[in-house]
Amino acid sequence: MQGLAEVKTAKGKFIERKYLAILTEPLQFSGTLVYTAPGHLEKYTVSPKPESLVLDQDKVTIESKATNQRRVLALQEYPPMWAFVESFRSTLAGDLATLKRFYRVRLEGNETQWQLELKPTEPNMQAIVTEIRIGGSRNRISSIEVTESQGNRSVMTITGDVQ
Amino acid sequence: MTASARWPIAAWFCFILVCVVVVSRTQISTDLSAFLPRSPTASQQILVEQLRNGVVSRLILIGIEGDAPPSLAQTSKRLAAQLRAQKTFSSVNNGEDISAQADREFMWRNRYLLSPAVAPGHFSVTSLRAALEEDLQMLGSPAAILLQKVLPSDPTGELLRLIDQFVGQAKPRVEDGVWFSPDGKRAVLVAQTQAAGYDIDAQEEALARIRHAFMQASGTATAQKLLVSGPGVFSVHSRASIKDDAWRFSLIATSLVATLLLTLYRSPRVLALGLLPVASGALAGVAAVSIVFGSVHGITLGFGATLIGEGVDYAIYLFTQIAPNVTPRNTLARIWPTLRLGVLTSICGFSAMLLASFPGLAQLGLFSIVGLIVAVAVTRYVLPALLPIDFTVRAANTLAPAVNAAAQRAAVLRYPLIGLVVLAAAFIVMRESALQNDSLASLSPVSMRDQALDADLRRAIGAPDVRHLVVVTAKDEQAALEASEKIGALLQRLSERKLLAGFESPAAAIPSVAMQRTRQTALPDEAVLREDLAQAQRGLPFRGGLFEPFIRDVAAAKMQSPLERNNLQGTGLALKVDSLLVERATGWAAMLPLRGVSDAPAIARELAELPHGEVVLLDLKRESDELYQTYRREIINYSLLGAFAIVVLLFMSLRAWRRVLGVLTPLLGAVIITWAIFTAAGSALSIFHLVGLLLVVAVGSNYALFFDRRTASVQERERTIVSLLFANLSTVIGFGLLAFSQAPVLHGIGATVAIGAILSLIFSAILISGSHPEQVAV
Repeated sequence: MQGLAEVKTAKGKFIERKYLAILTEPLQFSGTLVYTAPGHLEKYTVSPKPESLVLDQDKVTIESKATNQRRVLALQEYPPMWAFVESFRSTLAGDLATLKRFYRVRLEGNETQWQLELKPTEPNMQAIVTEIRIGGSRNRISSIEVTESQGNRSVMTITGDVQ
Repeated sequence: MTASARWPIAAWFCFILVCVVVVSRTQISTDLSAFLPRSPTASQQILVEQLRNGVVSRLILIGIEGDAPPSLAQTSKRLAAQLRAQKTFSSVNNGEDISAQADREFMWRNRYLLSPAVAPGHFSVTSLRAALEEDLQMLGSPAAILLQKVLPSDPTGELLRLIDQFVGQAKPRVEDGVWFSPDGKRAVLVAQTQAAGYDIDAQEEALARIRHAFMQASGTATAQKLLVSGPGVFSVHSRASIKDDAWRFSLIATSLVATLLLTLYRSPRVLALGLLPVASGALAGVAAVSIVFGSVHGITLGFGATLIGEGVDYAIYLFTQIAPNVTPRNTLARIWPTLRLGVLTSICGFSAMLLASFPGLAQLGLFSIVGLIVAVAVTRYVLPALLPIDFTVRAANTLAPAVNAAAQRAAVLRYPLIGLVVLAAAFIVMRESALQNDSLASLSPVSMRDQALDADLRRAIGAPDVRHLVVVTAKDEQAALEASEKIGALLQRLSERKLLAGFESPAAAIPSVAMQRTRQTALPDEAVLREDLAQAQRGLPFRGGLFEPFIRDVAAAKMQSPLERNNLQGTGLALKVDSLLVERATGWAAMLPLRGVSDAPAIARELAELPHGEVVLLDLKRESDELYQTYRREIINYSLLGAFAIVVLLFMSLRAWRRVLGVLTPLLGAVIITWAIFTAAGSALSIFHLVGLLLVVAVGSNYALFFDRRTASVQERERTIVSLLFANLSTVIGFGLLAFSQAPVLHGIGATVAIGAILSLIFSAILISGSHPEQVAV
């Protein structure tokens, strides 16, 4: 955690696969992630359609170039989404206090190969998300795996982290 | 005491008893709109209705500050929870999700009848395909968590569209789940009272409940501060300040005048007698207003103080003019004709107010007239019998020669004074048009600081600015809704052209039946939808049969009977509709409040081109300014009428133009100079100043008439003039104190009369006493 907190900026490529019960095949998204300490995160999706998602403080701004739409969501109005967003933002920031506000936290492995297991504490969140596992090595995050209550699952792998 | 002396006292006693009974049953009304006129134009009528009980009048804006955001948020939540449990408030919103839940539920169930997007082609293969592709994209974002749940029933995103439409883009900042001001230092809430804004008692109760709930909600966090604003709050505060001021100043005035009189009379008994006419007059005045109007307005009571000013004079004239070894009865017989003429003149002045078309002023007029008649009657018939036989005011005896000498010398100033008055008149003519015209706001005592707080809270909450409102009138509810839909479509286009930021419409929550039918027609048949959806879905990874709930809901919506107003029950939307769609005496009116208007004239032009003729863009500020000007003109007209009546009365009594002119000149001079003083201070004469000038004429006419009166001896003249000085002092004390009041009504009248009364006396001395120095011999 200490190591993560020291990271000021980070940039990487991501590939995210979502296995959703309502879909017959997984959705695959890819693009880049840019993180600036302490809590600013930008996710630029390139494929299948260009879209940007900017997380700053308590606002998520989603902008789609294809439909030319811009939507601003205040996280605190959507508690489950907020908890979800904090799982990786707080991990990136090394902010254990915020993580513990939403999750029961367990750390496994060693410094070169660690895994953070987060289980939601709030009933509302529990109804949606069962578990979030974040894997990494030293001060880098390499994967985020989310298991949802209705059998939905998503796996994001992050590579090519440039410090 | 002889039998003939006893009768008037017995009669007075019975009269007072009756008055006490009437007054004890009197209802005190506090409806500030009593000071609004009865016969406005159509759009002014809507304005007055809005001010009285429109949605705008029911809003209470609440701010909590002085602590860290999490604690403020906690207080906000507790406060909101407490207030929601009370019937006083029809809605309390602090940004928490719960307040929107019933609304969301309603929107969800009726999304296909409510959504403006539902039109022919909205469910075509191409449109469905685009919607589904967008859904897939959204599933990649954190919003997927929420989207998955509604997607099978709402793939075209009607719910999101509706939520966006109601919330608009102007969302307050949210911290810890509740609304905050943009700087994050103040938690904000908005409450809507069940009671109308004009019901000040109910508003006061609502405020007390908010304060009480806040005390409990903030608990030990004593640093937290509660701020409240809104029209109801203003009314409550202004009533309180008028009531406080009227009370406080009446009390101070009474004790100061009493001290003055005690020093002069050196007899507590005579002092008590001196206050008897005023007290009787005030009591009778309240009783008369109560009988004629059914209730007495709080502000009318506030004028008790002003009555002290003139009513006390009558006793002073009598007491001070009693020479040693002359009975009160003989003295009274001597001064009665002048006193009577003075009272009649005052009554003429006040009669103008009786005719005013706003009940508040009419009450003031009746109160003053009845009060003065009773005061003078008590002076005439009751006081002489009660005064000690050998009573005389010693101070008057010692002061008299000096005062009279000064009055005689004052005549030197005659021509300079006339010159000064002419100059002042010219000054008024030059400056008056350049002065900022007063607005309706000057009738309500809202301080600049309170107004700034109101604007701050309003911005933070994103409440519609109360200024612009599109009003459409129609023969029935449906027609009003249909018109709202057409206007809404136009406003939508205009907001895309940035002429305004946004608007609200009753039709957004409850579309007209015609519109709902149109949307139902646009919904495809089940078989068609099923086939088109299958085609649109081709190649996309949605599970087979996933959208069955969607197909089912569309089919149900197609068959559903149209929504009516009572379907909204229990939602926040009901409230919105109730306030925006109202039945009026002549039909129905729908109101569409506008936000962020940048070009009102352009909007008005576009609206004028709509086929519906009954559409008005109300600029509440402009309308209320015009309303105020109407009052002002009315007061001026009636004042001139009163002045004319005074001239006629004086001519009938004095029967010589020269004397009439002699009496009127000092009064006219006093009015002009007083007016010029206010003009020089940079304020146009408000309604209250005008009423004050009327009072100057009423009070000042007494001085002029007494100066004009022929006297039998030098001593008598001396006593007369001293009595005027004392009477003037008491008037200036009474009104001068009111000038320190924060309430414009009391401040305006107080300052005007205090200045005008002094000037009337001085000018009478200068202009009249010098004009017939030989009269002593007459």
